[in-house]
Amino acid sequence: MKINNTEIVDTYAEAFGMWSAKVIITAENDYWAEGAARAMTGMATSVIGCKCEAGIDMKLSPEDTPDGRPGYSILVFTMDKESLSKRLIERIGQCVMTCPTTACFSGYDSKETVNIGGALRYFGDGYQIGKKIQDKRYWRIPVFDGEFIIEESFGVQESVGGGNFYILGDNVSNCLDACYDAVKVMKRVENVIMPFPKGVVRSGSKVGSKYKDLVASTNHVYCPTIKGVIKDSAVPENVHTCYEIVVDGADEKAVAKAMKVGMHAAAKDGVVQITAGNFGGKLGKYKFFLKDLI
Amino acid sequence: MKLKLFTKPDVPLEAECISTAVIGQLKVKEAEKMKIYHGNREANIADFFKVTKGKDDLLEVEGDMHRIKYLGANMSSGCMQIEGDVGAHLGSAMSGGFIKVNGNAGDWVAPEMTGGRIHISGSGGHCIASAYRGASKGVSGGEIIIEGNVKNELGHGMAGATMVVGGQCGDFTGVNMISGTILTFGEMGIRTGAGMKRGSIVCMNNIEILPTFSYDCMYTPIYLKLLFKYIKENTKIAIDDKFFNGTFHRWSGDAIEMNRGELLVYAA
Repeated sequence: MKINNTEIVDTYAEAFGMWSAKVIITAENDYWAEGAARAMTGMATSVIGCKCEAGIDMKLSPEDTPDGRPGYSILVFTMDKESLSKRLIERIGQCVMTCPTTACFSGYDSKETVNIGGALRYFGDGYQIGKKIQDKRYWRIPVFDGEFIIEESFGVQESVGGGNFYILGDNVSNCLDACYDAVKVMKRVENVIMPFPKGVVRSGSKVGSKYKDLVASTNHVYCPTIKGVIKDSAVPENVHTCYEIVVDGADEKAVAKAMKVGMHAAAKDGVVQITAGNFGGKLGKYKFFLKDLI
Repeated sequence: MKLKLFTKPDVPLEAECISTAVIGQLKVKEAEKMKIYHGNREANIADFFKVTKGKDDLLEVEGDMHRIKYLGANMSSGCMQIEGDVGAHLGSAMSGGFIKVNGNAGDWVAPEMTGGRIHISGSGGHCIASAYRGASKGVSGGEIIIEGNVKNELGHGMAGATMVVGGQCGDFTGVNMISGTILTFGEMGIRTGAGMKRGSIVCMNNIEILPTFSYDCMYTPIYLKLLFKYIKENTKIAIDDKFFNGTFHRWSGDAIEMNRGELLVYAA
């Protein structure tokens, strides 16, 4: 199976269930909205070490935000609903409420909700004001430039984390070009994030380690430097660089769509093979077969 | 179900049963026999209204009903659409559902309301969303939108609802208010917010500020952008674009009470 001259390996990307929330951040202008969005999604590449995975989903025009100001939608993923609530309170409280002129709203209209504004309101020290519009309650918390507005409840939903594909190329430059092109088109897909730096991972991991206290370790079979010393290397003869693109999405459909457009964009000269992280069912319940996606 | 008034009452008619909570659940024949009070005389709905089967989940009422009281009383769900003017006590003790009036309303709209929505395309009378005399608090939830004008004592003792008026208000708007929001687009009378404990009164015109209110600052409340957007999308109230990004003077009061209420007055 090939796209252009790139071989697509007959395997599947193994993904797992997560919980996600979509957060809409708005501000007086794009400069401040982006500042809050970047702060809130900082140090959130992997649940392994960051307690959550987060990224910017979309830049929003004023027509698409609740208060008619420029904004960003952000997706935050955790392994369970309870920790999602904690991470949202921490990150909105420290990164959005602190940022000049911002306001914060729920982006999902789901039945399951977590109490975020209703917890952060106590920062108002008794001067906070609750307001209801239709069925939604908002909190107005007095701050130095006026008020920080936040929705009381944020919708959350079961989602998919760890969708992925690997790009195996003949050198770093060609492989990075492919990654760049892939991430660029994947960013246009709504309801997904690629949480790693610029969307790309060079330290792809596998489940477990020879060291018993580690839950994950380098996926050694894709490390070119040890190809000659391990028996189970998956790096083909003419490949000298491997990168992984990880996708978290609001649902399976969004992840599949992002993987599809990403693989098509990545399959170009210098990319020998595209494969995926398949851990034989140890990681999660979702399987994205590459052949079905293309 | 659909009710069409064919005989105008000579004296006020109390028709508490004309509500989704009561006849909305009945068949046509059963509805026709429901009791209403014409002055102090008992009558049937069929004496005044022609009852027909209409759309499911919608109670339609039509006619000049400015002398008919308590329409939509005790509603907790469903939708009631009224074509024509209505009398006093519309939506009394309502806890849910939606009443749409294409006409004017009398006094005492939504007394003791705890939830639901009322939307009146015309004007209203006195004591809209107000507490009854002697009651410690008035309307405690829900939403009332009146696109026209209202008279005195709008939101007296209101405790948690959202009240929007597209036109002018009389005197004593939000008097003894406990919480909630009153938003008015027209001129307001005197003594606005007198004795208010908490809550917000928003006005797009200059108002007389009582001496027991203290000036805080001028700023742009983001909350109002949400409220304006909601009103623009759901009513015919014309909202000038300048209000969306406008600045407002904020006054806190009333100092004779908890001093935790606010007046937001459009500045520029």
